[in-house]
Amino acid sequence: MTKHATTALAFCLSFALPAAAFADWQPNRPVEFVAAAGPGGGTDTFARVVQSALSKNELLTTPIIVTNKAGGSGAETFVYAKTSPKDPYKLFFGTQDAYVLPLASKLSYDPSKDLTPIAALVFDPFMLWVNPKSSGIEDVKGFIAKAKENPGKLKVGGAKAKEADETLMTLIEQAAGVDLTYIPFKSGSEAAIQVAGGHIEANVNNPAESVEQWKAGVQKPLCVFEDARLADKTVIADGKSWNDIPTCVEAGLDIKSFAQPRTVWMAANVPPEALAYYTQLLQKAAAAPEFVAYAERGAQIRKVLVGEEFKAFIAQHEASYRDMYKRNGWLRGEK
Amino acid sequence: MDISRPTMEVATASATALIGAVVCYGALQNGISWADGAPQPGYFPFYIGCLIIFGSAVTAVQTLIRRDGETGAFLDGARLRTVAAFFLPIVGFTLISGFLGLYIGMAIYVFYAMLTAAKFRLHNAALTALVVVVVNFVIFEKLFTVPLLKGPVLEYFGIY
Amino acid sequence: MGNFGQLMDGFAVALTAHHVLIMIVGVLLGLVVGVLPGLGAPNGVSLLLPLTFTMDPISAIILLTSMYWGALFGGSTTSILFNIPGEPSSVATTFDGYPMAKQGQAVRALSLAFSSAGIGALTGVIVITLLSGWVAQFAMRFGAAEYFAVYFMAFASFIGMAGGSPFKTLVAMMLGFAAATVGMDTISGESRLTFEFDELIGGISFLIAVIGLFGLGELLLTMEEGLKFEGVKAKLDLRTIFRTVAEVPRYWATLVRSALIGCWMGITPGGPTAASFMSYALGRRFSRRGRHFGKGEPEGIIAPETADHSAGSCALLPMLALGIPGSATSAVMMGGLMIWGLSPGPMLFTTQPDFVWGLIASMYMGNIIAVVLVLATVPLFAYILKAPFTVVGPMITVVCVIGAYTVASHTFDIWLALLFGLAGYVFKKLDYPLAPFVLAMVLGDKAEDAFRQAMLTSDGSPAIFFSNGLVSTMMGLGIFLLLLPAITALAGRIRSGAHKAEAA
Repeated sequence: MTKHATTALAFCLSFALPAAAFADWQPNRPVEFVAAAGPGGGTDTFARVVQSALSKNELLTTPIIVTNKAGGSGAETFVYAKTSPKDPYKLFFGTQDAYVLPLASKLSYDPSKDLTPIAALVFDPFMLWVNPKSSGIEDVKGFIAKAKENPGKLKVGGAKAKEADETLMTLIEQAAGVDLTYIPFKSGSEAAIQVAGGHIEANVNNPAESVEQWKAGVQKPLCVFEDARLADKTVIADGKSWNDIPTCVEAGLDIKSFAQPRTVWMAANVPPEALAYYTQLLQKAAAAPEFVAYAERGAQIRKVLVGEEFKAFIAQHEASYRDMYKRNGWLRGEK
Repeated sequence: MDISRPTMEVATASATALIGAVVCYGALQNGISWADGAPQPGYFPFYIGCLIIFGSAVTAVQTLIRRDGETGAFLDGARLRTVAAFFLPIVGFTLISGFLGLYIGMAIYVFYAMLTAAKFRLHNAALTALVVVVVNFVIFEKLFTVPLLKGPVLEYFGIY
Repeated sequence: MGNFGQLMDGFAVALTAHHVLIMIVGVLLGLVVGVLPGLGAPNGVSLLLPLTFTMDPISAIILLTSMYWGALFGGSTTSILFNIPGEPSSVATTFDGYPMAKQGQAVRALSLAFSSAGIGALTGVIVITLLSGWVAQFAMRFGAAEYFAVYFMAFASFIGMAGGSPFKTLVAMMLGFAAATVGMDTISGESRLTFEFDELIGGISFLIAVIGLFGLGELLLTMEEGLKFEGVKAKLDLRTIFRTVAEVPRYWATLVRSALIGCWMGITPGGPTAASFMSYALGRRFSRRGRHFGKGEPEGIIAPETADHSAGSCALLPMLALGIPGSATSAVMMGGLMIWGLSPGPMLFTTQPDFVWGLIASMYMGNIIAVVLVLATVPLFAYILKAPFTVVGPMITVVCVIGAYTVASHTFDIWLALLFGLAGYVFKKLDYPLAPFVLAMVLGDKAEDAFRQAMLTSDGSPAIFFSNGLVSTMMGLGIFLLLLPAITALAGRIRSGAHKAEAA
């Protein structure tokens, strides 16, 4: 009996030992990148840009497989994370959705228990856009005036319901004291085209989704929801650059920073060595030329958060969303 | 055991009506009225559920009224056995795959089907199973890098 | 003729030996992906995407689009031979393709499908060439109400079509709508009909339903009918291929109608799947041999195939010009575009003419290569059919099960496919039509979203559906198509009444 026990112990040890020698952890099989968005969506592009930055610069030599789990506004991705705990070969790509989705819907994962945060690699600013020709709105003052004249008649589009876009729209309503109607679309680009075609008056989204419409003269940015103007001074359209777009506070709409982090997660209880490895790896990816070019194209704010700093950001960001959701009556169980 | 066509008609209509009821119940949880100028999320599903129940009910009643018209067999005993002999191994395949992974499930299923249905010899059936597994492995894992479910056994042997 | 000159420049870009080789490789990979039901074009293209990171954008897009053409053709192959649509858009091809194959004319069915598909694709590319500048402007006019009108027309053309019990049609169609509802609702952000099952939060995949209803369901039927797969009798005669290709121009009316429907649905947000259904339904309505549809009629193959492929080609245009993908596959390609550093949008045509026109030129070449290659595979598939069904059946089962799994890597989906398989078997035996189910599942949630968006835009006034010429015309056409069966029936009754009166 004891003999069996010792062999069993030796057997277990033989498995445990390599783990102890794992200080320098390296993946030795394909790594799966799970994107919480459908193909072509913002998070999908994010995951694939990281993939290309890693494989082109040979930062990660094992194959990388990108899969899309967009169901339930991306919740499918994080539920999937819950079903594969400890798996160091799966990274999950999202936005603030990882911790904001469970605020409004009953979902089976708990972001604080079932996910391990790795990093936020870049932040997407939000802008308020209109079609200057069809709506006759040229600036924020004009927008507010028009909204006050026609309460509830101004249509603002955005991606999906009860997420970043609609939250921001309710912030505009509160800051300006107006009543708008929000119309959800499947994606931000779809909402942008609706504005460009003159079907709705305005939309809020990331600069990248509307920049081509701006160049074509069918959309115009009114203000950026940031504390400071965007840095890029390259002229884009109408002789203006991103830097020429006023912040919303400057333009008379008192909403400060509302950026969307692009985040990467692992499942719960992953080996700390693997976490350390990916933290470093992703920092390298964020500095790679492919990623820099991606961030510049999208007029994104380059700021990398990892470790405790990232955790603190999540706690503060989630709390602010919880507040906003509470005000809008969207919190789960408060219908 | 024979199943007559009217029996099956009524059974199917009851099943679809049940789905309709489930849909209605689910829709009620989302709210089914018309609010703020637009329908609530449960509005369409609720009426869809109602229409399913309605259609199913009419089908069932029609069958019962026309009782004497169409009384042919839906499925007689021999055919039922043939269908079951084909379908049950697929269920087994799925069940095994859930625990041991798709490749092992596939191998066992193909081996069994070749042995019983196609009347292959033992080694030919084994060979066919092996070929199917290898071809799928190459296509999915190597060519397109789509990972199929491996299960604990392959995992143990370091195949992922 | 500015477009023509640019197209010639495009040919100069696309017609290098390197690019032709890429096209051949792409088409071949696409054929493999298209034949396997779980993979399909969108998956295949996204799997190839990483390979393109190191290529220049034009070579990359040629590889991806060629794969797309290959996958579209491959999807039709399994539809015809095994009643398993390899692609969602080839579901309608099963309606007549499979019966024809069962009658021992598999080679003819495949040749018909491929040659009409080629014609459809080329029509689509010609439309893109001629109208590229105008389409972006036109597509911009589509708001939520116009989207809804497009879907409404597709439904309306289909409704009067199904024969048999109208109540069974109703049940089938509504079940399709219900299946499309499962999952997260775009407009409210609430989950519907998921009953808190994690597996259902992503909704019920259309592919799972199709693999079950058509693939597994048909296998069960074939088993029951005594293990016979009539395709066995298919004689492999290479001359059949040429004879069939020569036969195609005879159906010019169906070709023209279907290509027009396809281009329309590709440019507007309808997409290839809806296009093939609508084209099939209208073919059945307007063809002289419409009554024979569903029994292996050549026009029943030509109509959906032509429309599917012309829509598939045209769907690339809104993707390039607006950044709004017209199909699942073009959504993946759009992702690729952004990673290569190109921004799809109205300015792409002026800022990247080499890329755009190189791509359009490659579409001519790629489709011709695809038709030739796919016709060359016909003998191979005919050979597979010679194997006894007891061997082929389990193999198809394996393909179906793997296909169900690869859709989302869920074991649950395999069970769901088995359930759909049983349902498909019972429904077929009891004469429930499957086509309305499939159409409702494809378009149901999109139509609902568009309707609710339109209602929000108009503050609840239905007048928005008749607020301008475009949307009124589409709604009017839709209503006309909806009432057409009733009108023809009424006209027939009056005429026969008149006959009786004369006789009396």
